Amino acid sequence: MSVRLDYGKVDAEAIKGIIEIEKYMFSAGFDKNLYHLVKLRASQINACAYCVDMHTKDARKAGESAQRVLCLSAWRETDFYSDRERAALAWTEALTEISQNEVSDELYQEVRNEFSEEELVTLSMGIISINAWNRLAIPFGADVGSHKA
Amino acid sequence: MKERVDYTKKYPKAVKGLIDLEKYLHQSDFDYKILGLIKVRASQINDCAFCLDMHTKEALKAGETEQRLYGLYVWRESPYYSEKERIAIEWTEVVTEISKPDEFPEELYQKARNEFSEKELLTLNMAVIAINSWNRLAKSLRTVPGSYQVK
Repeated sequence: MSVRLDYGKVDAEAIKGIIEIEKYMFSAGFDKNLYHLVKLRASQINACAYCVDMHTKDARKAGESAQRVLCLSAWRETDFYSDRERAALAWTEALTEISQNEVSDELYQEVRNEFSEEELVTLSMGIISINAWNRLAIPFGADVGSHKA
Repeated sequence: MKERVDYTKKYPKAVKGLIDLEKYLHQSDFDYKILGLIKVRASQINDCAFCLDMHTKEALKAGETEQRLYGLYVWRESPYYSEKERIAIEWTEVVTEISKPDEFPEELYQKARNEFSEKELLTLNMAVIAINSWNRLAKSLRTVPGSYQVK
């Protein structure tokens, strides 16, 4: 897919808020490996090829196993992921497909059993951030495959 | 309905990027009426009650008519919206439900570019991203609908 609109060049100011969220994720010390899984799962759901390519490369470079990366879309049926990771993935799916669900009290409790309130807010911001990047790369196009980890 | 987390008050650092994005949108010279329609339409699709309540209140205060807000669910069959507004609403729908189409409709991109400059279209898209972000926060962390008051 080619680039339709080079948003960084058109107006670098436009994406500063999203970059600010990424800086916050880093400063909050959110588990980087888990963040890779979150970003990859959201990008799979939203079918953002550029982001899938980027986050699979980044996850592997960070030491994630090929098996855990390759089976991520079927995480519910495997025992490759910890309870904490499973809670984060369930929250990622609920927030990414926000139009299709109510974000139930059961799910909220399940996630709060694994994450403190502050960690849950941070996780939510990470999901919001990748959803934002997906919504930039898909409409405006991107040079899929060009990312180097 | 009970609030789950008061994120703006308790975790201002977490939402700073989104506040920055709102400032960017506010400072742009993008048509505020179109921005209002974008916020309401995305909140309808995402079923975010707090955001729907907030942005309909805001739009009415800013001079939007009730009829244009009622008609927004069925904008394709309603006569109240300009060509520019119709494209902005369609863009909002497609980008909000980004997981739905197999690929982004090239025709929509071309239509949008006929009505908006590249910079305007980027601003429009950032507005869709911003409200989608707030929808995800308010719905999942359950900000109480109706509690918003227009300043």
